[in-house]
Amino acid sequence: MLRKEQNDYLAQTGPGTPLGNLFRSYWMPALLADELPEADCPPVRVKLMSERLLAFRDSEGKLGLIDEFCAHRGVSLWFGRNEECGLRCPYHGWKFDVTGQCVDVPSEAVESGYAKKIKLKSYPLIEQGGILWTYMGPPEKQPPLPEFEFSTVPLNQTFTTKRLQECNWLQAMEGGIDSSHVSFLHRGDLSNDPLFQGAAGNKYNMQDFKPVFEVVPSDGGLLIGARRNAEDGQYYWRITPWVMPCYTGVPPRGDHPLHGHFWVPIDDENCWAWSYDYHPTRALTEKEVQAMKDGKGVHVKYVPGTYRPAANKENDYLMDRAAQKAGRTFSGIEGIGMQDASLQESMGPLCDRTKENLVSTDNGIIMARQRLLKAARELADKGTVPPGVNPEHHKVRQAALLLKHDVPFSDGAKEALKARKGVRQTTV
Amino acid sequence: MQSESARMTTAHEAGFRVQAPNSRPRAAKVIALDATAAALLEPISRATWHGAAFFTSMNFTALTTSGQPLDAWLKDVAGHTMNLMSEVAAADFVVVVAGAGEDARAVSVIADACRMHSKTLVGLIVPRADDSDEAITASLKELRPYAKMLVVANGADYIEAMLTALRA
Ligand code: FES
Ligand SMILES: [Fe+2]
Repeated sequence: MLRKEQNDYLAQTGPGTPLGNLFRSYWMPALLADELPEADCPPVRVKLMSERLLAFRDSEGKLGLIDEFCAHRGVSLWFGRNEECGLRCPYHGWKFDVTGQCVDVPSEAVESGYAKKIKLKSYPLIEQGGILWTYMGPPEKQPPLPEFEFSTVPLNQTFTTKRLQECNWLQAMEGGIDSSHVSFLHRGDLSNDPLFQGAAGNKYNMQDFKPVFEVVPSDGGLLIGARRNAEDGQYYWRITPWVMPCYTGVPPRGDHPLHGHFWVPIDDENCWAWSYDYHPTRALTEKEVQAMKDGKGVHVKYVPGTYRPAANKENDYLMDRAAQKAGRTFSGIEGIGMQDASLQESMGPLCDRTKENLVSTDNGIIMARQRLLKAARELADKGTVPPGVNPEHHKVRQAALLLKHDVPFSDGAKEALKARKGVRQTTV
Repeated sequence: MQSESARMTTAHEAGFRVQAPNSRPRAAKVIALDATAAALLEPISRATWHGAAFFTSMNFTALTTSGQPLDAWLKDVAGHTMNLMSEVAAADFVVVVAGAGEDARAVSVIADACRMHSKTLVGLIVPRADDSDEAITASLKELRPYAKMLVVANGADYIEAMLTALRA
């Protein structure tokens, strides 16, 4: 349970809000690189943390993320002409470069210097791992570039998608660290999904439905270990890292690619669920990439031409009661991504946490909230750099492994939890 | 109408959630396993709680295995002595709090009581800033066989945060 003020505090990420300032301490995924494929391509509207922005690539291929609206009379520059190193507003011809600087006001003589006095707010936009990342905080506090393993391995080893999720970022992210739902909601998919099936570890999930949990803070966030009984005095551990504020990793299954998410606020009632899949040491196979494109694993199928899932609230997520009854899916919804999204959206655009009744196995969620609250407060009061800003904190890996009963996962999995170049993931 | 679901997930519709309470406060028994933990619990126990009771020490005369009645007493901050078995019987869940690297052997007695009454045992290790990883590891090792949920807290304020979140 959270009090209403705490709930609002954690949910609101617009400019000037405490959590908004916290989010503006980090590099965040803003667009897929494919959305701006070439110089002078069409601009893309982007809303992030309640700010409406426009992304474009100029004639030299430079990336820009600027205020969406023309400084003259406020029309959307999405209608603009992207040409000759700038975006020209189609209304009266004002032109802006990738930094938001106005470079031409046709009604005024160039010599007047009028254009120089006009500048739209802009944020840096960089490409890494097939993703365009932005940093929306104060320029003097811009941190070094992110170093998550999924976005720094060679491009043929990684694949990322995004989908619109129509609810607040926090309830989506909490799903990513809620390890106890997997044995129920995703039960059917361990054996059916091409990106999950066949792993030796799956049998432990299916044999032991009462995992025991350990939650341990890490430098950048949390490690949440779930252990199940295995043979020979061992536990089967699945360890989920959370890096503040909104990165989660799903523990691996066999040699399948590792996957996980970024949960990025669009506004207080919508977020982008980013889903990555990568392998630390090998290229993804054609079959794997095809499965991801087909919406398997953590990915989804789309309404064509959009990032909105084909199964969405307008069509009851294509609920299949027969599949639910027969146990092919536990909730009647197909696909891991939509199983999560459907339930999280069903909580409402902003979940009312004054009504929830958490149990002790929800400690991962409780501690994540507490760390977010604390970090936002310390940033506001003392300017403390929050956990997860330092790129060293990004170099954590999800892991699945067998350990003797008396070995703590923080010890036994110490190496397994580090992202190490050229070293295969630790997995069962 | 094809479906009402689209309307169900709007902010406007969220305003129509039934406002009746859907639960009652939980009775949590929070027990310090050592003197460090007791010092942490003392100030917390003075706050207003709905169903949480705090115990800063425990005495037991016999270590018994499951099935046997235990002779163990808990002491609260005010100095009242309570019987461990009846406290656990009346609990919704039990939390043991341990300082990192401290002697936490008393947990086995509490775990026995929890097992007899089918109550969930949560283990909370609260390290001080200068406690070593080895000390934390030692505590994890000691509590692991007994706790259904084992947590290394990042600061003493987590005890309150957790109890509040669990409606204690
Ligand atoms: S059982 Fe967890 S939300 Fe309903
Ligand atoms: Fe899930």
